[in-house]
Amino acid sequence: MNQDISGGLENTRCPEIMKILSLGKRSGKLLLNNGAVTGNIFFRDGQIIHAQCGPLNGTKAIYELAVWTSGEYRFFVDETPDIVTIDISMDDILNEAANRMRQMDRVTSLIPSSSIVYSLDPDIKQKEIQLKSIQWKVLANVNGKRSIADIAQHIGLGVSDAMKVFYTLMKQELLRDAELEETEAAHTAIDLPETSFIRSLREDLTRAIGPIAPFIIVETAQDMDLDLLSDDVGQRAALIETISSKIPDEEMSLKFLDTMTDWLNAEGQ
Amino acid sequence: MKGTIKDLLKVSGVHGYIIAREKNIQIKLPSRHKFSGAKNNIKSLYDSLVPVKDRPGNVVEIFLEDMVLTIFISGMTMLMVMSSLRVNLALLRMTGKLVLANLVKEKR
Repeated sequence: MNQDISGGLENTRCPEIMKILSLGKRSGKLLLNNGAVTGNIFFRDGQIIHAQCGPLNGTKAIYELAVWTSGEYRFFVDETPDIVTIDISMDDILNEAANRMRQMDRVTSLIPSSSIVYSLDPDIKQKEIQLKSIQWKVLANVNGKRSIADIAQHIGLGVSDAMKVFYTLMKQELLRDAELEETEAAHTAIDLPETSFIRSLREDLTRAIGPIAPFIIVETAQDMDLDLLSDDVGQRAALIETISSKIPDEEMSLKFLDTMTDWLNAEGQ
Repeated sequence: MKGTIKDLLKVSGVHGYIIAREKNIQIKLPSRHKFSGAKNNIKSLYDSLVPVKDRPGNVVEIFLEDMVLTIFISGMTMLMVMSSLRVNLALLRMTGKLVLANLVKEKR
């Protein structure tokens, strides 16, 4: 096989490569791979004649490949298929691809990856819900274990199309991030000792970084091999100092240090 | 807590401090303290440590036989605290960071 152009999709996305190959009136196969899925787009004299991506063929496959933002591409000269599944102009393909990319940008602002696992949200806020058959098909496969990509493959849908369906379902507040749910559950399950020091530490840290605070306290104490029930001022100060370094916002970190230094000084008097 | 030099001096075991900013070096130590006349040494230490990234949290600790030098750096400002070996170092670092943050804020 005569390999010609190659590179990463992070820098050059599929529509740009298609445009280049079209302008050069090239013939051959553009192979795209994003780790999990492989796709092919076949060119004859700069025109796309066939495409395939997972279970998808024709234009559906092209539009699926057009929205990939990571992976690799390679062009193999003079490798042409036996079948022709696409008979529309390159301009139409590129216009539709641009539309799909815009849609996907909106989708990825809410759903950053197809590897996210969702579960059904039991707290439905709406009285009535209307679903299209494809939305129901997707919803029926959401179980808190399968990722979007898994579900797309299971029901024979393109990943980008599946992400769009998930976007709509998320907007209707029917789903929630299963991993986030697990993390929240883990955080609420953390049992901190009920001493005045720990109470103050937890309250101030929660103000600085939110509900993850108890988890950070326990994790830091474990890493430093400190006893949360110890009265030793040195240990307490070391714990406060280390925790403060984990607060990303500098102002919040200093405020936390300030309050807790006051607490330590008041305790020492 | 105001995060002032007074707060720093209240930390048990602290001998005194030095503030260095660009060309200026301010030494506040008892007159017999071994670092009270060490302006040139402090200057060369300052030149080799400053500047660093603009975040209080850059702390250098130097353990000598009879004392600890704790150095806080933010931007072009260096705060150096001399203390006994028995000082609560974590408390000293917490207070020092707050003091330095205020010093830098005042400078702006």
